[in-house]
Amino acid sequence: MTIAPENTETEVPEGHVKLVVDGEEVIAPEGELLIRTAERLGTVIPRFCDHPLLDPAGACRQCLVEVEMNGRPMPKPQASCTMTVADGMVVKTQKSSRVAEKAQEGVMELLLINHPLDCPICDKGGECPLQNQAMAHGRSTSRFVDTKRTFPKPISISTQVLLDRERCVLCQRCTRFSDQIAGDPFIDLLERGVHQQIGTAETADIHNSASHTSSGTPFQSYFSGNTIQICPVGALTSAAYRFRSRPFDLVSSPSVCEHCSSGCALRTDFRRGKVMRRLAGDDPDVNEEWSCDKGRFAFRYAAAKDRIRKPMVRDESGELVEASWTEALRRAADALVAARESNGAGVLTGGRLTVEDAYAYTKFARITLRSNDIDFRARPHSAEELDFLASSVVGTTPEHVSYASLEKASAVLCVAFEPEDESPIVFLRLRKAARDKGTKVFHIGQWTTSSVRKTFGELLACEPGGEAAAVDGIAEHAKDLDAALSSDDAVVLVGDRAAEVPGLFGAVTRLAERTGTRVAWVPRRAGERGALEAGAVPTLLPGGAPVSDASARATLETSWGLDSGTMPAEPGRDTAAMLAAAASGELDALVVGGVDPDDLPDPAAAREALANVGFVLSLEMRPSAVTEHADVVLPIAPVDEKTGTFLDWEGRVRPFSITLEGTGALPDCRVLDTLAVEMDADLFTQTAQAAWSDFSRSRVVSAHQGSNPDQHSRPAASTPDTPDGTVRLATWRQLIDNGSLQVEEPHLAGTARDAVLRMSAATAERHGVTRGERATISTERGALTLPVEFTDLPDDVVWAPARSPESIRSVLGAGHGASVALSGGAR
Amino acid sequence: MGMFDPLKGFGVTFATMFKKVVTEQYPEDFYPSAPRWHGRHQLNRHPDGLEKCVGCELCAWACPADAIFVEGADNTEEERYSPGERYGFDYQINYLRCIGCGLCIEACPTRSLTMVNFYELADDDRRKLIYTKEDLMAPLLPGMEEPPHPMRLGENEQDYYVQGPELARGRGVPEGETVETSKEEAIQ
Amino acid sequence: MGLEEKLPSGVLLASVEKLANWSRQSSLWPATFGLACCAIEMMTSGGPRYDLSRFGMEVFRASPRQADLMIVAGRVSQKMAPVLRQIYDQMSEPKWVLSMGVCASSGGMFNNYAIVQGVDHIVPVDMYLPGCPPRPEMLIDAIMKLHEKIKHEPMGPNRAKLKAEKGEELALPPSSVAHASAKTRDERLRTVPPNEVEGKRSSTIPLQLLEER
Repeated sequence: MTIAPENTETEVPEGHVKLVVDGEEVIAPEGELLIRTAERLGTVIPRFCDHPLLDPAGACRQCLVEVEMNGRPMPKPQASCTMTVADGMVVKTQKSSRVAEKAQEGVMELLLINHPLDCPICDKGGECPLQNQAMAHGRSTSRFVDTKRTFPKPISISTQVLLDRERCVLCQRCTRFSDQIAGDPFIDLLERGVHQQIGTAETADIHNSASHTSSGTPFQSYFSGNTIQICPVGALTSAAYRFRSRPFDLVSSPSVCEHCSSGCALRTDFRRGKVMRRLAGDDPDVNEEWSCDKGRFAFRYAAAKDRIRKPMVRDESGELVEASWTEALRRAADALVAARESNGAGVLTGGRLTVEDAYAYTKFARITLRSNDIDFRARPHSAEELDFLASSVVGTTPEHVSYASLEKASAVLCVAFEPEDESPIVFLRLRKAARDKGTKVFHIGQWTTSSVRKTFGELLACEPGGEAAAVDGIAEHAKDLDAALSSDDAVVLVGDRAAEVPGLFGAVTRLAERTGTRVAWVPRRAGERGALEAGAVPTLLPGGAPVSDASARATLETSWGLDSGTMPAEPGRDTAAMLAAAASGELDALVVGGVDPDDLPDPAAAREALANVGFVLSLEMRPSAVTEHADVVLPIAPVDEKTGTFLDWEGRVRPFSITLEGTGALPDCRVLDTLAVEMDADLFTQTAQAAWSDFSRSRVVSAHQGSNPDQHSRPAASTPDTPDGTVRLATWRQLIDNGSLQVEEPHLAGTARDAVLRMSAATAERHGVTRGERATISTERGALTLPVEFTDLPDDVVWAPARSPESIRSVLGAGHGASVALSGGAR
Repeated sequence: MGMFDPLKGFGVTFATMFKKVVTEQYPEDFYPSAPRWHGRHQLNRHPDGLEKCVGCELCAWACPADAIFVEGADNTEEERYSPGERYGFDYQINYLRCIGCGLCIEACPTRSLTMVNFYELADDDRRKLIYTKEDLMAPLLPGMEEPPHPMRLGENEQDYYVQGPELARGRGVPEGETVETSKEEAIQ
Repeated sequence: MGLEEKLPSGVLLASVEKLANWSRQSSLWPATFGLACCAIEMMTSGGPRYDLSRFGMEVFRASPRQADLMIVAGRVSQKMAPVLRQIYDQMSEPKWVLSMGVCASSGGMFNNYAIVQGVDHIVPVDMYLPGCPPRPEMLIDAIMKLHEKIKHEPMGPNRAKLKAEKGEELALPPSSVAHASAKTRDERLRTVPPNEVEGKRSSTIPLQLLEER
């Protein structure tokens, strides 16, 4: 039988080339690296330095292959991780070429010469690329018989990362990561030849290099943990995890980070009922393969000794004593029913909730307490913000603005948003976009922060509180930015700090309408976006329909199985109003989730309200300022011990399931469900799954989505004059501070940035402050003394971190944009 | 079967009466086991008394019966139990699980865990058969000092591992008493 | 059960107790309960080299009604469990159980669905004997320790109370130390780890340590 010969000439599409790999014809896109082409064919070429998210380096030479170009073989084997495909190339990997195989074996033997044989006690042993590839591609014996090179071990790169130099194979993944991805080149290659090693500022004289600030202190990177994860040999280890356990006795479960709204996929590894470490998960749409140090290392709060594990009630003597669930729920139910029947009760949820938990709070407030007094914002907030959230944020999905659109954007404007501190993965994306795609990043802020520098950004400096005017002034004063924002793919990112600046949301809305750019809101806490969607706000129902909308209420009453007209129609009070009402006796009870009074706009007033209100029910993990005043404390589960869903800033659903089972800890939704049953109502939020399906069924999408006309009319507030002798305060929370989810992490705390008072040289001179000394900012309420650092702030503006570690709001009673007195020296 | 075969049987019994008694009078007399008999475990010490265990948990991982529990902790300059970074903070062997296979001894990278010939372990309380670190620690020999104490024999752990026997002699550990595991260590 | 529970604890009873215990420990008849490899060692113990008859134990009774010691030698499968319990129930009081080898004591390395994880899930155990398998000396050691226990067993609750009030504790030193002659004792002591000599150890599971960490 004869078959007509098949036409073997395949079309080569535009932008592609044809080459032969191991005798197989392949079509590959131009610019693809040989190592990836081979990978697509199923041939894994061993490698150490190659990482798909880092620039090619060709440092380890492990990926050698034989290459033939235009019929002429190259004289020596080539590194396939740096060589791109070309038309007519003939590549022979270790599969078909003895030369490549021998070359790889030789390189492996050389790499292993100085590599210690401590695999059994190495943290990486079991998940080590060197171990695996030595088994797969290495010689079974070594010809090296001399003493191996040793170094004193370990040296600490930061308090968090330790380096064992003899294990290092000099692949430079870590240095490339810190240089390219994070932008903190805190480690680099030192010395030459056999003495070549990875070193830090302490091990070499590189004090004048870019890795140091002007004052000569080494950078504290927020992303140093990633170097541990990408290290292919276990040379970099984490101080918190070093020698604690082995990959093979850990149980891994996928999880989602609870710290900020970036929504990172994580991998949580545990054993014996205890979380041992967390690694960045692989999610190309969100965090790629990175995570920040806070997400990676701050998880021990859940295992803290002072964790509340049993309900507590306040006895006659005023002490909190452990009680049974029955008793505690009974006490809480009785008090809340009494409060509901008289002046009412308010709900403060805090920013740590999953969507399911926030939804349970929403239902609890609306059904059980029959009130709209619920607010998730445990931070400075405004009515204007609520309007903005209702009109522009609620209901948006990643189709609106996502990480991918940041990467594609021609220009990104960050307003009242410090990406590195508030959403580190957004920062990484902005840096990637700026570095690889040439995205222009603009920041409306006060000084050239590391976010501005590392996103190759442009700072539009303004006074704190003057951001709204700055946004309004873009058309006039920053024509290039205005033009850039007018392009289709531009994005504006607004931080939740914008609520502290009157008129800023209006200005941003106007800007968006004028230029047609998309606006995304990036809150600081992981639970805020989900809580908004779940309706844990005084004016919105789950899904985003306004409370005042009768038809939306009717729809919700039907799906919740309520009698018609039982839903409260009046918009409720926001956090500040609830606390004020509680202090003055207009509210009889407060149900408080994870709220730290120090974050609230007026911590003193919040504490007073908690002390004065008739009844406080606290749902907490660990004793806090709220439990001090609580009458009943109900323990709830941390994320490791529950199932749930976060919504990240994009509106992307980030579900995660329970990691540690059988600890007996209950999620908020379950606790509230049981409490509601005590109060003769059913929330149907017994489990996270039930709560989620009830939420998906019940969300009422607003009929009139769109901008709120009020916002156009609201003028940008002009900055009030600063009285003589005072300066304006700029402040925000840094990524690593004394937040309640970062306790018991001494190693992590060591990488926190120094708390300093920043000001310009001119300001310092005017107020008698000298560089390198301490200065004090004060209000009539209190004073805060910090070391001074000179930065490019506008005149008469100082910047201080919001936690240093005292809360600036607690001490000074003032926040971003307030006037404070500045004087040199300590008070 | 022959006619005298039954008598032959009695003959064996009768003859045995004149032979040497084979019975070991065990509790009264003691017959040492073979030198490499797998008896109870022991956690060894360096010649200055520091522990050899580094809390690496390889023994626990090697154990087929899951009889070993180890948890390591960090040495500090103020409180040092072993040379190097880590020491075994908690060490337990459950003798009701241990099958005496000796895989843990093979796994131990520092020769900290070895077996002695002692075997009279029976007890009426299962909790007492979970041996803790205090039970398993080798006794202090002359020249040894109960940890925690600083490294007396060198700057770092390398000195301890590389020149153990010389250090032991210098430390005055009696001849014949080995701070290493057994006689075979010398051959190695 | 009987008269002794109602009797006051006096001089007479103390002597009766001693006599009864002596006679019980001097002819402890084991029931055959060889289940696996440990049974081979148990048989060896009955053979001429170790000769359990020295302790009046040469008759391994096939009938539980004639036995007062059950040596559970080997892994107990879930299917064997009811049988074992029945044999135990058929033994006449007073009766003792010796769990020989780690499989009988805890399941040993057979941590699986088929094996009972410790025979004390089924019957009360008086003596646990580790080892896989224990050598005959170890079995004899366990039996000697059991003898010691029997010898000091209180007769009835009143005696038990009295003993508890006196704070009497029974130490179980290694048999080869406890039974060594004065001449050989010193020699023997040299091979026993010092903390084993007394037979009392401070070993308790430090649960609080684990919780702290």
